[in-house]
Amino acid sequence: MQQTTVLELTNLRKTIKGKPIVKGVNLTLYPSQIFGFLGPNGAGKTTTIRMIVGLIKPTEGSVTICGYSVATDFIKALSNVGCIIESPDMYKYLTGMENLLQFAAMDKQISRQRIKDVVDMVGLQHRVNDKVSTYSLGMRQRLGIAQAIMARPKLLILDEPTNGLDPAGITEFRNLVRKLAYEEGMTVFVSSHLLLEIEQMCDVVSIIKQGTVIKTANVHEIVHNNRIEWQLNDPEKAIALLKEHWNITAIQLKKNTISADVNEHPLAKINELFIHAGIALTYCSTKQNTLEDLFLDLTEGDEIV
Amino acid sequence: MKLFNLIENEVIKMISKKRLLFVLAILIVLISVFAYGQNRTLERTKAQLAQRMGITATDDWRKLADQQLIEMKNRLDSPYMDEKRKSSLQVRKEQLQYDLDNNINPLEQSAAKFTTKFMEQSIFLFLPLLIIMLAADMVSGESTSGTIKLLLVRNVPRWKILLSKYLTLIILEVLVVCLAFVLSAIISGFFFGFGGWLAPVATGFKVLAGKLDSSSVFNVPQWQYSLMVYSLAFFVAIVVGSISLMISILVKSTAASIGIIMSTLVAGNFISYFLSDWKITRYMFMVNLRLTDYLAGSFQPVAGMNMLFSITVLLGWTIASLIVSFVYFTKQDILV
Repeated sequence: MQQTTVLELTNLRKTIKGKPIVKGVNLTLYPSQIFGFLGPNGAGKTTTIRMIVGLIKPTEGSVTICGYSVATDFIKALSNVGCIIESPDMYKYLTGMENLLQFAAMDKQISRQRIKDVVDMVGLQHRVNDKVSTYSLGMRQRLGIAQAIMARPKLLILDEPTNGLDPAGITEFRNLVRKLAYEEGMTVFVSSHLLLEIEQMCDVVSIIKQGTVIKTANVHEIVHNNRIEWQLNDPEKAIALLKEHWNITAIQLKKNTISADVNEHPLAKINELFIHAGIALTYCSTKQNTLEDLFLDLTEGDEIV
Repeated sequence: MKLFNLIENEVIKMISKKRLLFVLAILIVLISVFAYGQNRTLERTKAQLAQRMGITATDDWRKLADQQLIEMKNRLDSPYMDEKRKSSLQVRKEQLQYDLDNNINPLEQSAAKFTTKFMEQSIFLFLPLLIIMLAADMVSGESTSGTIKLLLVRNVPRWKILLSKYLTLIILEVLVVCLAFVLSAIISGFFFGFGGWLAPVATGFKVLAGKLDSSSVFNVPQWQYSLMVYSLAFFVAIVVGSISLMISILVKSTAASIGIIMSTLVAGNFISYFLSDWKITRYMFMVNLRLTDYLAGSFQPVAGMNMLFSITVLLGWTIASLIVSFVYFTKQDILV
């Protein structure tokens, strides 16, 4: 087991100026896994990531990367990591290529050819010789990824990686991450506050809230896209009908809105039933789970701060 | 091997930032202005002398020196002179006397003299400011832009990153001091001629109880004297560079770190005048930067200081700065 874990966090805690930011996080990542670290802003995602890469020291607990402790074996542990933290900050007065050369010079194994391949991989070949100060956020994001994967790390850590990418860029990025995980065997650790992003990209997801991981599970267990919302004039009657005919528990969201999880049941039949029962149906749609919904589900209505 | 790569990285960054070019431009402009001003002053003095005394200064400088001596003597005898100014005047008088006795013309200007004088005037403020321009954002600049994160998550220990920055700074300091020397020798050469490097210069003055002790004074060739001045300048550059680097690490913003060191330096220039009775001021680094004054025998503002004392104080500051820098840099949490 020791050999196969890529990243192991044990009871990781951080207190900054008397305020506990991360309150005992335990995680284990295996090779080729795409792991999502999901949580709202200020939940402690970035602080956790900073502890993983040794930018800040944990108040308590330990980080082990490929069997090496970050605290005692920093060089060996970090040899296996590539990362972008928070924003892709690069030297603005250098060109993209010069930036990559800077980082390549710090690692002997990176050849010129590898740099060129990586630039092609992130689709930056046409702009790589321009100054970074002329780049858009999306281009800097790509450069950041290039820099992170250059040394073929076993663990790739991406903090809010799709910030600033356009829809096409996001799709491209998703494919790139999948390719890196499945073809190059990298374990990818992606943090995000966007559920959709995590859902489309990751295999396993951990949800962090106020410094505590509240759930770790397979992504399909957490996200369900079968929630339907109806807008109609008689919610009580509709709820009763659903229970009676399909054994579905629906909840009333607003005055005229109810919602329920509809699995294999054909939605058309339900709607037909409503109309036959004389309910005026004005609107019906599948509802995308939001992070808030998920938190409400997981914490069963606890206050979200 | 890796350290060399890191230093190369730092040098590339420094060149791309155009900082070095900026320093070069400032040096050229300032030296040109300074040399032009010197030239004008010299010509005016000559003209005045010719008008007033009917002599050409270069021909008969001894007459002028005699006159100056008498003037100084009169001022020294005046009951209105305060004690402190009196002793420094006394020192200058004795120097002039020494020049007369040894036939050294104090008026004659040359590229060699100018080059030496330029650094003597730069060592306590101008040179440190140039060094600050290079050193103050070496670390804070990376904190401000966030690139420090990328630097510290490599498989390179933090102390090595900082060491590469410090060594780069030393390379730049050598470069700046050498540039100052070469540029002032060349630029002033156009005004005063390129010679004068073999002319004798008196050094070895000592100030004992407010009196110039010239018993151990001896002549060295100008080039050797220049070399001493520029070596001291290099030492000052290292001191100021080390302190600047420390501030750059402790203060995360470049603007703040430049502000702090600059105001400290400028304050140092008048602290010595206003607080000379306060003994502790002599342990401040900025009061000890005028090392070249010990060579020329000028009077020190705070009594009881000498070359050895100042160098020890400055060394102390450098070592302390380095310890603080390395300890803090390797231990700190990066939150930017």
